[in-house]
Amino acid sequence: MPHEISPVSDRANSVVIVGAGIVGMSAAYFLSQAGWRVTVLDQGAPASGATGAADGAVSVASKKAGPLMTLAVAGAQFYQDLCDAGVLDGEFVRRLTYVVATEPNELPVLDRHATQLREAGVTLRALSKAERDQALGSLAPTTRAAIEVQGDGHAIGYKVVERFRRIGGFAVKRNVAVQGLWRQAGKVAGVETEQGIERADAVLVAAGRGSAAFLDVADVIRPRKGQLIITERGEGIVPRFPGPLMSCRYLISKGSQPGGDAPAGRSFGLVIDPLQTGQFLIGGTREDSADGSQTDIEAVRRLLQEAVELVPALARLRVLRVFAGIRAATRDGLPIVGRLSAHENVWIATGFEGDGICLGPLMGRVSQQLISGAHVNVDISALNPARFRAEAAA
Amino acid sequence: MRSMDVLVIGGGPAGVAAAAEMARSGLKVTLCEQGGALGGAIHRQPGNPARAVPVPRAQSARWHKLSALLAKTDAEVLTFHAFIGLDATGAVLVEDRRQGRLLVLRVRALVLAVGGLERVVPRPGWHLPGVVTVGGLQVMMKVTGRGPAGSVLLAGSGPLLLAVAAQMTALGAPPLAILERSRQVLSPLRAAPLLLWPRYLAEAAGYMRRLMQAGVPWRLGSSVQTIRPTDDGRLETVIVDGAGAVSRIVVDKVALHDGLRSNSDGLPPAAHATDRNPHVVLAGDCREALGGVAAIADGRNAAQQVIARLTGAPPMSSASRRIVDTERRAQQALANIFDFGIPDLLKLPDETILCRCEGRTVGALRQMLATDDQPSPREIKLNGRIGMGSCQGRFCVEWAGAMLAQQTCSAQPAGAEFIGNRWPSRPVAIRSLLGPAVADAISSIPPNESD
Ligand SMILES: Cc1cc2nc3c(=O)[nH]c(=O)nc-3n(C[C@H](O)[C@H](O)[C@H](O)COP(=O)(O)OP(=O)(O)OC[C@H]3O[C@@H](n4cnc5c(N)ncnc54)[C@H](O)[C@@H]3O)c2cc1C
Ligand SMILES: Cc1cc2nc3c(=O)[nH]c(=O)nc-3n(C[C@H](O)[C@H](O)[C@H](O)COP(=O)(O)OP(=O)(O)OC[C@H]3O[C@@H](n4cnc5c(N)ncnc54)[C@H](O)[C@@H]3O)c2cc1C
Repeated sequence: MPHEISPVSDRANSVVIVGAGIVGMSAAYFLSQAGWRVTVLDQGAPASGATGAADGAVSVASKKAGPLMTLAVAGAQFYQDLCDAGVLDGEFVRRLTYVVATEPNELPVLDRHATQLREAGVTLRALSKAERDQALGSLAPTTRAAIEVQGDGHAIGYKVVERFRRIGGFAVKRNVAVQGLWRQAGKVAGVETEQGIERADAVLVAAGRGSAAFLDVADVIRPRKGQLIITERGEGIVPRFPGPLMSCRYLISKGSQPGGDAPAGRSFGLVIDPLQTGQFLIGGTREDSADGSQTDIEAVRRLLQEAVELVPALARLRVLRVFAGIRAATRDGLPIVGRLSAHENVWIATGFEGDGICLGPLMGRVSQQLISGAHVNVDISALNPARFRAEAAA
Repeated sequence: MRSMDVLVIGGGPAGVAAAAEMARSGLKVTLCEQGGALGGAIHRQPGNPARAVPVPRAQSARWHKLSALLAKTDAEVLTFHAFIGLDATGAVLVEDRRQGRLLVLRVRALVLAVGGLERVVPRPGWHLPGVVTVGGLQVMMKVTGRGPAGSVLLAGSGPLLLAVAAQMTALGAPPLAILERSRQVLSPLRAAPLLLWPRYLAEAAGYMRRLMQAGVPWRLGSSVQTIRPTDDGRLETVIVDGAGAVSRIVVDKVALHDGLRSNSDGLPPAAHATDRNPHVVLAGDCREALGGVAAIADGRNAAQQVIARLTGAPPMSSASRRIVDTERRAQQALANIFDFGIPDLLKLPDETILCRCEGRTVGALRQMLATDDQPSPREIKLNGRIGMGSCQGRFCVEWAGAMLAQQTCSAQPAGAEFIGNRWPSRPVAIRSLLGPAVADAISSIPPNESD
């Protein structure tokens, strides 16, 4: 364990967390539970990054086979455990996800994805036309096939963050931008901020896109903008369906399945998410852009067009809001979680792209285990930050 | 098809003045009004002139002159066209509500003159059916040409209470009473500065004469504290008068009004053109709520700014700027006799509704604020669902900001800190968004089709 550096000697080990998104705030909670003195610093406010501009699919159904799919299974289970333990009760609901094929060339994609999900231990069933009509009465007749995936859920990122803040027992400082690590006697002893030094025995970088500044390899984290649409409430206008509808194109856009002819720099993958408020969230784009405040009519029209093709009744609603968020994507599509090899007391947990709501609490827990030197009970070897270093050296 | 230099949004006095002035200077101007006719909040009138709502003569003369000016230009007027937003690519989005289609327009300048907002300070029961705003009541009368049915109580503060009461009386439906919260309205010391604006005094005198003839009481220092539904579908109002005495009246309708305010929330901010965006200029009450005379002058100001930016012409006379300054002083003088202050919202009972769309209460927000760790406006929005409803925060955001400021003894955050300035600036039908997008194509419609 890092030794004491502050004149005050009777205190617990301290950790400063850079970033009050879902990952940083989850980690703060678990570290605080484990007896650490935690300070979270954010250049804005809690959930002001990707966490506050996301959908809340805690979804295994959409993941790429491999480490992400396996971790998503554990991530969804961890949400359930936290609910059962009374930590996140009410902030997570289990629900089904439907993956839908509308074009002939999507059928093999759907088949392949179903097989991969089964191999990861996920329960699902292919729906016959009659079953589709029963479960998803509002689908367009052009729908060719659909699978119903079990074990998924929904959680709203900013609400999870707010829950951890309320029950946390740790300090959150808003409007404090961290400029870099602060060293004393050749060792990291805190972070430098515009407002001064924040001392700590350990540092966790959970700054989403802002984490890039803490890595010593360039161009590892890339901004992936996403535009989302929220409709008014649809009661009595659009028949409800029990969980989100994802098009096969969504899997392709997300990179979970190969294919697609999207122009470089921007792809569209349709998700229609029935929110608990009765509203619908319609998403989303994946764009190589860092301009998170901006949305454009071309993208919105295209998403709405696809949504209405799948669920024609949506045309009878109004759009209430359109917004964009920036996902922190990585060069190889996998998150970055682990200790930075250049320092003995600096850890990082970032690069969750479109999966950070699903993985956030679990990765917060993992960060705590790493920092406390405890056993990490999921396999995160594929997420090691050193992989880019090795690549750069090669 | 017609190419366009400038798009003006809003057919009130500010928008019409701006459009006329720019068109006269040779710019190609299109004016979009969401409603069926020009006129805005002040000059709206029912389709049937026989049912016209009486307005001061000077007021209708001003409008007459202004619309005649516009009619002489080649400015294009599109009614039932609502501004939706300015997107990331600099496209101006306008919903054509009659055709159910979307116009995606590239223009050199955008003048936003969408008008101000009427304020109603929350109090228990303000959200009940049967409670309306005084301005809303006026719009209803102007649209239908009829006074409201049943007994009506007008309450709040400001000259609009008098104007609307007089209009109701003229239509044969006088209110039971006007409750004016301010006690100072007739204080000679406070009212003296208004002598500089005889127009306001003459207007008020006209209204008061009519109200006195009809025996409508104007009770100074009285306010409606609470409104409750009665078993027979009416409203019981709890009234506190200037001496603190409490009384109750049962009425059919309560109309509330606590002043007018500017409204730039949800609009793109005023800015110079960029490689993508047009020049954006705000004009009239949406920029600063200064009344009808200022709105015309402010529209001209906006026009001159645009003309200068687009043609390089030197800024013209400063006459309209002076009018705006004078009117600002007039509004300050009015604010000095009326009571537009925000009361201590933290004292309201828990169950008082703050946001009607999402049913959020004062109690819920109070609870969010009762922490050493003060949440930011954005967190209040996300976790408190303030500004998340279909009115896009038009009503609740000001009060949530006021509560935050009162709790923390700090300055009130701007509405944009809660809700940003995203498009759509109001809910828009998916059907319209999906209809044929008409890019840069505006078929010419004769300017005065709507008159
Ligand atoms: C449109 C969209 C849809 C999505 N949908 C889903 C979904 O359905 N399911 C899912 O699982 N995931 C989804 N995601 C992904 C998910 O939102 C992110 O993966 C997750 O929120 C990342 O959390 P984070 O804590 O790592 O980062 P963030 O939430 O971005 O938090 C990082 C924080 O660090 C702060 N910060 C950055 N730099 C500094 C600095 N130098 N100093 C101080 N503070 C700093 C920022 O202000 C920010 O608050 C979506 C994302 C987007 C954009
Ligand atoms: C409810 C109310 C009642 C009033 N009553 C009186 C009175 O009795 N006497 C008096 O002297 N003053 C009155 N005023 C004040 C006076 O009306 C204003 O000062 C003046 O009208 C401001 O002019 P404007 O052009 O800035 O805005 P407005 O007159 O409000 O005009 C704005 C116009 O923009 C249109 N619009 C709004 N949003 C959009 C959009 N997204 N797309 C397209 N069009 C849009 C509106 O339909 C409206 O026609 C009242 C104000 C209000 C709000």
